[in-house]
Amino acid sequence: MIDQIKAHVATLLRDKKIAGFLGLIEKNGHVAPHLFRDADALDGFCLGDRHAAGDARYPLNKTLGTIARAYPDDTFGVLVRGCDERGLYGLFRLNQLDKKRVVPVGLGCPGDLALACECKKPFPDSLVAGDQTPAPAPAQVADMENNDLAERFDFWTGQFLKCVKCYGCRDVCPMCFCKECSLECEDLITKGDLPVEIPVFHLTRAMHMADRCVDCGLCDEACPSDIPLRLLYKKTAGIMDTEFGFTSGLNKNERSPLSQMGPSK
Amino acid sequence: MTVLSQMLEFTGIEKERLRARWVSSAEAPEFVEEVNDFINTLTPLGPSPLKATLPAGKDEKAETA
Repeated sequence: MIDQIKAHVATLLRDKKIAGFLGLIEKNGHVAPHLFRDADALDGFCLGDRHAAGDARYPLNKTLGTIARAYPDDTFGVLVRGCDERGLYGLFRLNQLDKKRVVPVGLGCPGDLALACECKKPFPDSLVAGDQTPAPAPAQVADMENNDLAERFDFWTGQFLKCVKCYGCRDVCPMCFCKECSLECEDLITKGDLPVEIPVFHLTRAMHMADRCVDCGLCDEACPSDIPLRLLYKKTAGIMDTEFGFTSGLNKNERSPLSQMGPSK
Repeated sequence: MTVLSQMLEFTGIEKERLRARWVSSAEAPEFVEEVNDFINTLTPLGPSPLKATLPAGKDEKAETA
């Protein structure tokens, strides 16, 4: 699998289709993002798999945004899984990246990873290697909804109380790019004060992610307090799907219902 | 609104506690009716469960801020 991707990237670089390829490198026992620029220097190229498929992940799209802003005239390749590609489509839609300047190199996820994520589409359109695993049936949100209101309140209040306000969920999020963040608005959130405003802090973020979140789960992995943020955003995304038939990044050129005016449903 | 009320319900807060209405400043009776109706909805629900969760003092600070 890795050889297929490596060969594909080497060809892209040799043919000068891309100025560089943003992928992952394994170096000194660690996996880190790396911009490969030479087709003959792909040593250490890796897919983020160490003990299991995809257990060392980074918001590569976010790094790509930084690189693209510094070199706006160059085209770059980027390693994408299904979720990353949804993220790319979202960032194209929100004018954060230019789709003419991005060449996604897709990697399909194995079934067990797709199941753990309850991924909506575990393979990118730009599939180069890996399987076209079908999307598993979601259950986590329904499980939570089987609890009654008071149980849900106790559960979430307990989870939100654990928050240390590190902003790690926002900082790792590939879809968070606002220059002014509502979570730093002092009328909403007091600075340096714990516990956080419940549920204002977490629901503000959930609402802002409503038409953006691509369910990559990086926030969940980044959270030092193990708050099940992904479950929260899965619910938000579920509402967007039920109410508006919209899933962020699933269809390449789809506009967000939240950016269109009209009578409410 | 559609999304937020369902998110509140998901996190265990009655969605009836959230309401948004457009009432013109020229429509005083309508405003009164809305507020009375909201009060009638809220009274049976009782105090917000969040009141008990927040540490003492946090509420007051928010009010004076």
